[in-house]
Amino acid sequence: MLEGGVVGQSVQRVDGLVKVTGESYFAADEKVPAALVLKVLRSRVAHAVVKRIDISEAEKIPGVVRVFTYADIPGENSYGIMVKDQPVLTDKIRFIGDAIALVVAENPDAARKGAEAVKVETEELPPLYDVWSAMAEGAPPIHDKGNILTVGRVKKGDAAAALSRADVVISRLYRTQRVEHLYLETEAGIAYPEHNGLTIKVSTQNPHYDRRDVARVLGLPMNRVRIIQTPTGGGFGGKLDISVQCFLALAAWKLRRPVRMLYDREESFIATAKRHPFIIDYTSGANREGQLLAVKVRIIGDTGAYASYGPATLIRAAVHATGPYEVPSVDIEGLCVYTNNPFSGAMRGFGTPQMAFAFESQMDLLAQALQISPLEIRRRNILRPGSATATGQVLSDSVGIAKTLAAAWEKACQVMPGLGGENQ
Amino acid sequence: MDRFPLHMKVNGTQMTVDVDPGMRLLDVLRDVLGLTGTKEGCGEGECGVCSVILDGKIVDSCLVLAPQVQGREIITIEGVARNGELDILQEAFLEAGAVQCGFCTPGMILAGKALLDKNSHPDRREIARAISGNLCRCTGYAKIVKAVELAAARRSGKEGATGA
Amino acid sequence: MFELDAYYQPESLAVALELLAKSDGKLRPLAGGTDLVPALAKRKIHCPGLIDLSAVSELRAIIAREHEIQIGSMSTFAQIEEFLVIRNRFPLLSEAAASVGSPQIRNTGTIGGNIANASPAADMVTALIALEAEVRLDSSEGFRTVPLQNILEGAGKTHIRPQEIITNILIRPLAPGSRSGYIKLGRRRALAIARLNLAVILAVHENKISLARVALGAVGPNPCRSSALETTLEGQQISSTLVDTFASEAEKEVVRMLGSRPSVSYKQEAVKGIARELLPRLFSSTEGVVA
Repeated sequence: MLEGGVVGQSVQRVDGLVKVTGESYFAADEKVPAALVLKVLRSRVAHAVVKRIDISEAEKIPGVVRVFTYADIPGENSYGIMVKDQPVLTDKIRFIGDAIALVVAENPDAARKGAEAVKVETEELPPLYDVWSAMAEGAPPIHDKGNILTVGRVKKGDAAAALSRADVVISRLYRTQRVEHLYLETEAGIAYPEHNGLTIKVSTQNPHYDRRDVARVLGLPMNRVRIIQTPTGGGFGGKLDISVQCFLALAAWKLRRPVRMLYDREESFIATAKRHPFIIDYTSGANREGQLLAVKVRIIGDTGAYASYGPATLIRAAVHATGPYEVPSVDIEGLCVYTNNPFSGAMRGFGTPQMAFAFESQMDLLAQALQISPLEIRRRNILRPGSATATGQVLSDSVGIAKTLAAAWEKACQVMPGLGGENQ
Repeated sequence: MDRFPLHMKVNGTQMTVDVDPGMRLLDVLRDVLGLTGTKEGCGEGECGVCSVILDGKIVDSCLVLAPQVQGREIITIEGVARNGELDILQEAFLEAGAVQCGFCTPGMILAGKALLDKNSHPDRREIARAISGNLCRCTGYAKIVKAVELAAARRSGKEGATGA
Repeated sequence: MFELDAYYQPESLAVALELLAKSDGKLRPLAGGTDLVPALAKRKIHCPGLIDLSAVSELRAIIAREHEIQIGSMSTFAQIEEFLVIRNRFPLLSEAAASVGSPQIRNTGTIGGNIANASPAADMVTALIALEAEVRLDSSEGFRTVPLQNILEGAGKTHIRPQEIITNILIRPLAPGSRSGYIKLGRRRALAIARLNLAVILAVHENKISLARVALGAVGPNPCRSSALETTLEGQQISSTLVDTFASEAEKEVVRMLGSRPSVSYKQEAVKGIARELLPRLFSSTEGVVA
């Protein structure tokens, strides 16, 4: 190792000191004199068309400076990492929590009262709360192109034929739940006009994407928008999406004033991405020796009202549907489906934890059916150097799962004295 | 509504501030005194990021109404280091790698301090219980417990002069 | 921050009661604040004014007498948990106090607030009901002393009159040799509202249970005694068979108390688990035995 190098050394994190003293400035800690505060009026219904928005009473409330609606967006009223399908302020409501109006005020109290005073007339549409009704024939389209956003497939060999030859076939339907990231720091940011452009300091995981979407919404060239990522108090994938960025941008740009915004915990729950709930229809086939022959998997991910990272999550889920096991023939399909639920996006593992629940349960059920131990069936199927994955990639070098499995077993025997013997 | 003349000692300084009686202690610390090391995470006592030490005891400043601290003493994260010198606990957090995103850190350090000020030789179970009102969503609990253990050992001088 | 029309911080009980009497129901007593402050700050409730009891030192005393223990209503959970006489004489009460919320909540929340809040899952209340605790309510007109279970009127509801303040909680000592314990089931160990809680007091002579008091919480509008479960124990020899009998009777009792509520299928199973954890502890060891 090089003299003074850091590889293999324990080093202190560069921002550690200011974090233990309480000096680290998170977005909500930024001191901005004379900043106006923002509050979003959010929808209380899941699916509706906005007919009329009356802001006249709201703008009369003392302390309220301006109320913006979809009509005030200078550029394109749409953003999104993979699909530009989410409006900053909407005229079509797609989930409970969709943003309808943005109130700019001198203080939080006026902003709250302003939001309460905005009158919205809507024409409700049938809400679609599950993927089955969203995919049903004649379901009202949540977006123009329909409710099935993407279909991704992974195919190798002839899975149907292999399953018909299998000595044991296990079919199960798995469901996983929606999960909130719950980073301790809720979404927050400040924005101010600077030179001939705009600067936004924000709690985010994706400053470059933020910049592109903010410029798009304001109708500005990218070089006039600057995004500064503040120390981010947890993200776990949930701060990859736009949250407060476009609201801050709109208000600061239109009013040429510094502005600030902070979600409380409730708004953070309502308005931001979740882990995709999956419905996984999983069929596995193995021979008498416990060797996997084929899997047929259909995954339906509920991406809610907006795409966010949904298409990528479902592709990743399909690619990882076989887990760390070698399967000669696969037929896997991953569907990303719009519903009127809170939108789903990236969260730690990106679709693979949901799949792990299914493929590991399948392995246990196969072991049970074949009367071999759960450990043994895994030993017989794990990927090893030379194995091919579901997508046909041949793993030529090291593969960690055999070592991991051995270490896990050793640890299990230590902490669970009853184990051993029959399970070996 | 009349403002309430709040006398209190914050980080060793006696002060009087006129507050609106509907303010929480958290609001006074952050918005009036500018002590933004104290965070707000949930506003209902679930997460502990707003923890401060009140008369030697750890409390959630989002659950305390400002006038309730009349005549009492408060220590926030800004009052833990003295004269620019880190507390043993702060050093231990840095060394043990107990700081990740940093949002829970002020509350965790104060919960650890409230424990060590009362119990200089806590065991793991006691440490876990002392920080049980503080969430870390980066899930760095093992290292946080280790940091408190390290600080306890150093405070009682077990480690001698050679350090870690 | 939230709006208040009036805020008082009296330094004596007499002044607090006078303010309350004059307020025409517009003022509400503020105890520890762990429930009231966030509810007001989030505008879930509104009240025009508060009488903050934090400066009334006479409500903070815990006094142990020969024939009773008197706990001031503003005593925090942490004070109750740590008070030595309570630990020795009423172990279930210190166990219940230790199970509340988090260190932060225990340092702030009070026994009086826990009672007045009348939550179906209130940790302290289940233990206090088993102890046959009485509550002293004061007003500017005088005072009355009422058994705790008689002032609970449903979830979030009590018979406390608008001009009254809970001043003290009174508990008579248990007979020497009595054993008591409290157990709580939450979704996790800290900061969890009880899904179920169970308090048991036993007097045991030569391995035979001469007296049993059993209270269950989070199975109805307020925690309450269960005479069926007391009968199951009384007069019986302590044995592992009795644990099994008690667990299955507890299941029936939970089903009876919860009726058709959706949580019944979970709680009828879960109650057996907490019963199997608590009872053997009381049967086998010297733990929880009143000195």
